[in-house]
Amino acid sequence: MDLMEYKARELFERYEIPVMKGVVIEDVSSLQEKTSGLAFPLVVKAQVQTGGRGKAGGVKTADGPGELNEAAGSIMGMNIKGYTVKKLLLVEKAEIEKECYLSITLDRMTKMPMIIFSTSGGVDIEETARITPEKVLKYAVDPLVGVRDYTARYLLSKSGLDMSLLGLFFDLLKKLYGMFCEYDCMLAEINPLAISRDNRLIALDGKVSVDDSALYRQPDILAFRDSLQEEELVLEARKFNFLYIPCDAEGHIAVMSNGSGMIMSCIDLISKQGMKVRAGLDLGGGATADRIKEAIRIVLSNEETKALFINIFGGITRCDEVAGGVKLAVESMPGNKLVIVRFEGTNKEKGLQILSEIKGNVVYVNGLQDGVRELYERREQM
Amino acid sequence: MSVLIDENTRLIVQGITGREGTFHTEQMLSYGTKVVAGVTPGKGGQEVLGVPVFNTVREAVETTNANATVIFVPAKYTAESAYEAMDAGLKLIVTIAEHVPVHDMMGVYHMARKKGCRVIGPNSFGVISPGKAKAGFMAHRIFSAGDIGIMSRSATNCYETVFMMTNKGIGQSTCIGIGGDMIAGSAFVDMLPLFEADPETKAIVLIGEIGGSEEELAADYIKNHATKPVVALIAGKNAPKGRSMGHAGAIVSADGTGSAENKETKLKEAGVHIAESTLQIVEILGNLL
Repeated sequence: MDLMEYKARELFERYEIPVMKGVVIEDVSSLQEKTSGLAFPLVVKAQVQTGGRGKAGGVKTADGPGELNEAAGSIMGMNIKGYTVKKLLLVEKAEIEKECYLSITLDRMTKMPMIIFSTSGGVDIEETARITPEKVLKYAVDPLVGVRDYTARYLLSKSGLDMSLLGLFFDLLKKLYGMFCEYDCMLAEINPLAISRDNRLIALDGKVSVDDSALYRQPDILAFRDSLQEEELVLEARKFNFLYIPCDAEGHIAVMSNGSGMIMSCIDLISKQGMKVRAGLDLGGGATADRIKEAIRIVLSNEETKALFINIFGGITRCDEVAGGVKLAVESMPGNKLVIVRFEGTNKEKGLQILSEIKGNVVYVNGLQDGVRELYERREQM
Repeated sequence: MSVLIDENTRLIVQGITGREGTFHTEQMLSYGTKVVAGVTPGKGGQEVLGVPVFNTVREAVETTNANATVIFVPAKYTAESAYEAMDAGLKLIVTIAEHVPVHDMMGVYHMARKKGCRVIGPNSFGVISPGKAKAGFMAHRIFSAGDIGIMSRSATNCYETVFMMTNKGIGQSTCIGIGGDMIAGSAFVDMLPLFEADPETKAIVLIGEIGGSEEELAADYIKNHATKPVVALIAGKNAPKGRSMGHAGAIVSADGTGSAENKETKLKEAGVHIAESTLQIVEILGNLL
């Protein structure tokens, strides 16, 4: 779960990580009032759940009230990669001596929090790492030890920056690490991290990503997630604890399974035949008839989805439950969309019997390959 | 032989009184697994399906001489249960739950390394040595005893493969659910030496997927140490970019680490047979044997 900049900034403030003075607005009519305590020049930044806002014109500087009105007016409501700008962050512009990069990420290789520090900030760190790898310092923190004074000393010393910054840098690193651990972060990034003319360290922009599995103990992040604009079907599926995964907007096929691996395998095999998958739905465990019915309803409620391939292979899945769910869904739904079903589990014969009695466009197949073949043969119908 | 578990494994079920715990204890017992104890705080002294229940893992170990555990508690308590098992001296800990916080697993992972414990999972179906024992929730009737060792990040892809193998008369020595999360207690590279050393295992199947570098690490090991043939499938080639699938670990990072192409290239260089589908795994195995 990626946080928008303003939310990341809220966390920084909570941990007393220095940021520039600023406000968030959701309505340009409150611009004057909200910015009255801020000093020009101000930076106007679009808040959207995607990257690349700078290139899209979502960040502008304003030297006075006139420019501010113009900038805010043009950015609010702007469409950036399909996301509408509904919030702006307005911050005072910093007097910068140097821009650095600092992040902590959960490193899959070492299974440790990895500090990444570079004196080349403000740009994409992957780009810096590619062109000048010597400028990117990495330090894996043993979670049983944590961030220590020598951690900061090592990074600062290797970076070539003035060691007089050590006190401030260690303090910042400890705060960021504390936030990383307490907020279940996968990434806590400050970029750029400015060294100001008066030698302070200031977080000018931030990117924070929180572990989805830990949201149950992060109530304010959960609230943030629920405030986001998301595809209606993603939200609808979430109500039932299904995971709806939008794939290719040009596809007309949906796949449904009780496991992520099988969904990926289905998508791989269908794609290999030159067909496109519009969406996947992961049922998770507990494939009861009612749940299957809801899942089918959700997936097929997308008008562009013309066919559904259900592939259920569970340890303890009852095939009669699955078939019962298909029957309930298909017989209560208009449109006569194609539903291909494959299941393995207990009570398979009973399940097949139920399927054969369904009045609708339902086909049973005996395996993953057969299902893909069936889709291919009927591709003209989609 | 087999790896990790067999007919001599003395298994504890943590969370035995829960719905899932009880159901799967019954399944494991009926498969012949020696489930010697259950643990549920506050339920010590009870019995479930004839298995004594203890308040703590330590008491269960002291009384029954158990040597492995399978954890059937909800995700949010999984780490706590794993620490308890490690502290009680157990060296094999199988974790099942989906959605265990990654920070929790990070702690468990490093503690396990320090204590010399093997943690399998989470987000895993467990471990099964067909015909001998199982610790997990897999549908055991599709498995059959034989000489192929399997390790998989995905349960469904493993079932699919095993089902077709069994139908073709190709049995398995042990099947290990590595799990679909970002941090797995044990990786492919930790399991490969076990299969390599097991005289009963003649060939190894590796079912990986996009995300992370575990398949690449496995390739390095195979190149330098493996003498047994390895067949691999990498799922998720056509998964939508930048979207996390149900498996938290199945995501390619911004710098391209974790792509299926890279994994397949590395594995091929190590002499691994690459399958394009679960069906093809079985076909390749058929040709190898």
